[in-house]
Amino acid sequence: MGYKLSFGEADRIFDSLQKEYEIWAPKRFVGKGRYSDTDMIRYDKIHRADEIEFNEKSDFPAKEVLTPITETLFYFTEDEYRESKATKKKLLIFMRPCDVHAKYHQEKIYLENGDFADSYYQRMSEKVKIVLMECGEGWDTCFCVSMGTNRTDDYAAAVRAEDEAMFLEIKDEELAPYFQKCASARFTPSFVEENPLQVTVPEIPNKEVLTELKRHPMWDEFDKRCVSCGACTLACSTCTCFTTSDIVYQENSNAGERKRTSASCQIEGFTDMAGGIVFRNTAGERMRYKVLHKFHDYKARFRDFHMCVGCGRCISRCPELISIAATVDKMAAAVDEITASQKAEGGK
Amino acid sequence: MNHDIDVKKVRTNCFRQSKVAGEFMLQMRVPGAVIDAKHLKAVAEICERWGNGSFHMGTRQTLDIPGVKYENIPEVNRYIKQYIEEVDVKLCGCDMEATEYGYPTIGARNVMACIGNAHCIKGNANTYEMAKKIEKLVFPSHYHIKVSVAGCPNDCAKANFNDFGVIGVNKQVYDYDRCIGCGSCVDACQSHATGVLTLNENGKIDKDPCCCVGCGECSLICPTGGWTRDPKKLYRVTLGGRTGKQTPRSGKLFLNWVTEDVVLGMFANWQKFSAWALDYKPEYLHGGHLIDRVGYKEFAKHIFEGVEFNPEAKVADDIYWAENEQRSNIHVMPLSQHKHAGPSEESSK
Repeated sequence: MGYKLSFGEADRIFDSLQKEYEIWAPKRFVGKGRYSDTDMIRYDKIHRADEIEFNEKSDFPAKEVLTPITETLFYFTEDEYRESKATKKKLLIFMRPCDVHAKYHQEKIYLENGDFADSYYQRMSEKVKIVLMECGEGWDTCFCVSMGTNRTDDYAAAVRAEDEAMFLEIKDEELAPYFQKCASARFTPSFVEENPLQVTVPEIPNKEVLTELKRHPMWDEFDKRCVSCGACTLACSTCTCFTTSDIVYQENSNAGERKRTSASCQIEGFTDMAGGIVFRNTAGERMRYKVLHKFHDYKARFRDFHMCVGCGRCISRCPELISIAATVDKMAAAVDEITASQKAEGGK
Repeated sequence: MNHDIDVKKVRTNCFRQSKVAGEFMLQMRVPGAVIDAKHLKAVAEICERWGNGSFHMGTRQTLDIPGVKYENIPEVNRYIKQYIEEVDVKLCGCDMEATEYGYPTIGARNVMACIGNAHCIKGNANTYEMAKKIEKLVFPSHYHIKVSVAGCPNDCAKANFNDFGVIGVNKQVYDYDRCIGCGSCVDACQSHATGVLTLNENGKIDKDPCCCVGCGECSLICPTGGWTRDPKKLYRVTLGGRTGKQTPRSGKLFLNWVTEDVVLGMFANWQKFSAWALDYKPEYLHGGHLIDRVGYKEFAKHIFEGVEFNPEAKVADDIYWAENEQRSNIHVMPLSQHKHAGPSEESSK
């Protein structure tokens, strides 16, 4: 069913929904951007329709709702532990199609990878109902069409905001009763069909090409350009890496809590191992690892889709203006070059 | 040619005497160092029609036109009327009329500024907006003062070498839950700022707030937005910096974490203070020297009159300037040569 609601009506419905749901949406934090007089848009619990940022893409992805940057897993003393509790409410999350697709990758890693389901992810994931946000024409760092993530029908509700009003499509039966009294209106979401930014991910034909690609000088560029801050992976809709650490209470060192915190393969020290072994020492090597993971390795392992969903947040957040799209183009050129030279050698 | 020229009068009109007798260099004010590009055409026109065809970037960010002949000054002044009208009268709202006679005084020097947060990734403050507001309070006045506005404590605007240096700062806010303990802010603070951050054993950040200069390097480098600026715009003000042959010195920390209202409230008292210190007779003497004569504590009484401080504000109780004397014993002299401060016995009657 389709409805049209004023923001005022939406607020009243949000009020009644709050009893059963936490409502999460991208929200604008004025003056909290990286640069002075710029804003940050990130997910937060909201209570009113005008708190939702409909017009711009969020800087940080929807994954933060299910896997916060810092999360307490359990509390311990010397002889027992107690797990942290997840919210009792269900989660209504306003998401764009890229974030919906990213959620499948998150699920694969947290729930299926290595025959082990991460219970902390699972207990959150089970509660989610998606409110799909329409993207209009999208934004200049988006390349969802290239990655095939521009459309989805996996949502409980879909929304378009226009002049302090919301058009809603309600598919979920549990949500329907809340909207019974609203004026009906025809609405189904439309999707971005073309992005100005297009990416063609190269096929890497064989292991020899892959090996050569890893050695290719194209990665050296990032030794100079990339500052290894990790902003790209923290803004990434699909990255899942985290580290765990114990916080021991100062007043009683036998008690504490175990936390997990997002980690980044781009930050120095990520591959440090016992014995001082380090796998990726340079920014270029770390960039190569990330790019191949998103645009080759993940798909090679799970045999379905590339990991990248084309949300473009890594491009928007990179302080050194490194574009993943341009990097994939460079990789495609390198693959062509390697393939051509292999053919030439084979022909000899 | 005319060899009888009142060069002091011409200087007050913002034309500087040249070593070539009868030639002068016009200095056009650019408060905050930003103007519409269209004005550059007019500047080029003046250089080519009345100047010697060259153009000088003034060290205080004025637009300088060398080689103007004395007899052409009236014509040049008529030509720059529109510029003065658009920049000082309209843009800055100075209490003056643009006339056919050029600049009314050289007193308060051009208020300098770096490009600030309108462009710069490091900037915390909109420097030219601030500079324009200061210009309105200090110009036109025959009392000399040099002010520069820097967008951040990196101080590319050399605020530290002005009588008053206004520097944009922000309190930085730490979000424990968004911090991933990568340590980028620790490195950035160590290498670019004052090294007040440390990574603790829990993988989070400790801060020594005492020495934070409010530059925002932590917020710039933080990959998660774990550090962000408090949106409240605050300023640090340094006092008594100067160049010069006798006692060049860097300014000293005067105000910290003060709001725009405090900064402007203080500048609003500048002319009154100067008049008092110089016994109501303007001299070719810059602000810092007035403060030296009066003494900091007395200066503070005058300059803070009616100023209401914001709760975060820190104010110097006293300042000990270290003179970088070019000549030893510069302050030691017969009593008869001591400089007087404050109203003379006559005017206090």
